[in-house]
Amino acid sequence: MESQLALIEQSFNYRYSVWVREALDELPDNFTITDPSISGHPIVFASRGFLKMSGYSKEEVIGKNGRAFQGPGTSRRSITEIQEAIQEERTIQTILLNYRKDGTPIWMLFHMSPVFSKEDGRVIHFVAVQVPMSRKPRWSGSGPGRDGVCEDGCRSRDIVFGSCRREVCSDSVLELEHVLAFESLFDSDNRDDEEPREASDQEKRRAAAAVNNILSLLTHYSELTGKLVCEKRCTLSGIGLLGASLIISLGRIKQSFVLTDPHLPEMPIVYASDAFLKLTGYARHEVLGCQCMFLSGVDTDPSTLLQVKESIQTEQACTVRILNYRKDRSSFWNLLHISPVRNASGKIAYSVWVQMEEGCGYQDAQGLSPEMRQRSTVGAVKVAVRSSSMGAGPSKS
Amino acid sequence: MVVKQLKDDNFLLKCATPDQAKCPQFSFGSIQIPLYCFASQSLDDSGPFGRFSCIPDDEPSTLESLLLAQWEDRMWKGIYRYDVTTSEIKIIGGRRKFLAQLNEEWNMDHLSDPDENEVCWRGDSFIFNWVKHHEELLFCVASGEKAIPELIPTAPVPNASILVLSNVTPVEYGHVFLVPHGFTSISQFMDARSLEMVTRVAMEVNNRSFRVFYDCSMPSASLYFQACYFSNPLPVEVMPVVTLWDNGLGGTRICSLIDYPIKALLFESKSNVKVSVEVLAEICSCLQGKNIPYSFLISDCGKRIFLFPQMRASANSHALSSWECSGHFVFKSRNDFDQVTEEAMLERMGTASLDEPGFQVVKQLCCSIASKLAS
Repeated sequence: MESQLALIEQSFNYRYSVWVREALDELPDNFTITDPSISGHPIVFASRGFLKMSGYSKEEVIGKNGRAFQGPGTSRRSITEIQEAIQEERTIQTILLNYRKDGTPIWMLFHMSPVFSKEDGRVIHFVAVQVPMSRKPRWSGSGPGRDGVCEDGCRSRDIVFGSCRREVCSDSVLELEHVLAFESLFDSDNRDDEEPREASDQEKRRAAAAVNNILSLLTHYSELTGKLVCEKRCTLSGIGLLGASLIISLGRIKQSFVLTDPHLPEMPIVYASDAFLKLTGYARHEVLGCQCMFLSGVDTDPSTLLQVKESIQTEQACTVRILNYRKDRSSFWNLLHISPVRNASGKIAYSVWVQMEEGCGYQDAQGLSPEMRQRSTVGAVKVAVRSSSMGAGPSKS
Repeated sequence: MVVKQLKDDNFLLKCATPDQAKCPQFSFGSIQIPLYCFASQSLDDSGPFGRFSCIPDDEPSTLESLLLAQWEDRMWKGIYRYDVTTSEIKIIGGRRKFLAQLNEEWNMDHLSDPDENEVCWRGDSFIFNWVKHHEELLFCVASGEKAIPELIPTAPVPNASILVLSNVTPVEYGHVFLVPHGFTSISQFMDARSLEMVTRVAMEVNNRSFRVFYDCSMPSASLYFQACYFSNPLPVEVMPVVTLWDNGLGGTRICSLIDYPIKALLFESKSNVKVSVEVLAEICSCLQGKNIPYSFLISDCGKRIFLFPQMRASANSHALSSWECSGHFVFKSRNDFDQVTEEAMLERMGTASLDEPGFQVVKQLCCSIASKLAS
């Protein structure tokens, strides 16, 4: 633990000099700075505002992972979104439920941005600003029997909470103690923490402005040490760009498809194309982190679902005709093709699910039939994943 | 002087056996396949990469969608011997960042084994067994008359076209053969029209991962190209270069690579690839005439072509394929794959590379052909 604290001290002073802390402490905002290069991705700086808001002391916060403040009510979707953003080294803004030291929940607009080294384009730190939000009034009619399909299409809040918990637990032994602490704090049912309304523009602006202030301070102080940092990756070095490049490659493909991560519990959706959102009527944030089966409904044939599950378990491609439901609960026949997608190591990285609505199939402007489109989408995804996953780290040298 | 050599009748006779000189034509009968027609615009008036520009946000082009759809379709039908995406690729440690791929089922000699081979390779030409294996023919590419490219779902195979065939033992995803069909020239020589068509395929697929390869040193002398998707970038593509010749505002330059283990030339076109293609076709014919084996790689959506002239194969050396020249090595054995070192690959490339005096001659040849054609 001592050595990690030394590492944290060094991580900060080396880059920004010892005087940066004073300057950062002048800022009124709630924020933390984390270092992804240190094992466990610990918090290396926490603002006064953050400490006040969370109720923790500085010593209790430094060295912890940001997940330590999440708890049973934290939505799995937000966690996935944040994890994704970290992996892809990009900015994210999402609504997040964290917990104070006294166990009370706090909804916030969470805005995180990477800080890059000017020299080699590596991510040096992440800055995470937290703007507290007021809670939305309770849903009318919500009661104990409030299971089943929730608004965003995820099957059940209970499942979402459950998987979230498992995830927090499975992270590391170190974090286990925090989870245990949460469990003792939350013996009672806390599931009435409804998600607040969407963040207002004012809140979004406030978060973005805070991030800008912090980034310009960090940039300024990095000039003192000569170890320059910047907000945007400035070098062309391919290292670490792979995540972003995959997103870009996938963005080219205009058909309806999602990628799921078969290595995560519940196999959540980790990418959804614009055409998928258009087809199903959901927003991206409603879809990411959900199980791909969420499109099925009351009249969906269970044996078809079983067939899909089997094909994923056996790592085989399959094509099925399945009854799916949009967000507005209108149904459509989906000629669904599912295929494992492998990375440059030959390992399965994702499953691709390509949807094709039956009965609305004419040749498109390019002259390809819907069936051809579906195949070309699978091919394009395979190429994108295989090309982008070519890690800079040699597997053997 | 150089070009005169090309017209030397002895040269043609030496290279073309009577069988090859017949210019094999395939009989397609009533076969109907998808036909992709280029826009009528030719390479020289395509402007400064107007619609051919490689913009990453672009939707996959029609040609790329067609290629991927047909290739994946054959995957669903199970015609490939294996799922090539299960093969592992790694970066070989060292400053060169060479790539090693483990493909245990890959058969390099696939083409030279007529018994094993569906689209079999006999008498130095592709012989198609349509009854059994027409599935391997994916589609066909030809010139068109219209202002925009056109995809005809089924059509008979026209002359002066490029047949796109899937390789049942692929090296990478999307591995195809590009076989010029029905051109009037003698089929085993590199000719500018076939090369232009193939370069245009690379341009219109419009994906930087898609590379076209040519190896003159294969067991057969019949003209065909290969193409597939490779992870970005190949080591050769990031090497520094020195310019040997350029045509100024014409936007074409010929360079030689600096500090690369195999002697290589780069033909780079800013806007108009026609000059590159014509010079390359000429230089290839000259090399063939001099019995110098060579390979080339068409990368960057046709804008850059790397030429690798090599030593004549001898007892202790064999010519490298164009992906090997580009820094991508395929291994069939796990052990070889695990043990590979940069030093070993450098040595392999070093032995295949043309020597310095030979390369000087090739460079001069290139510049004189380029100046002559550009004037």
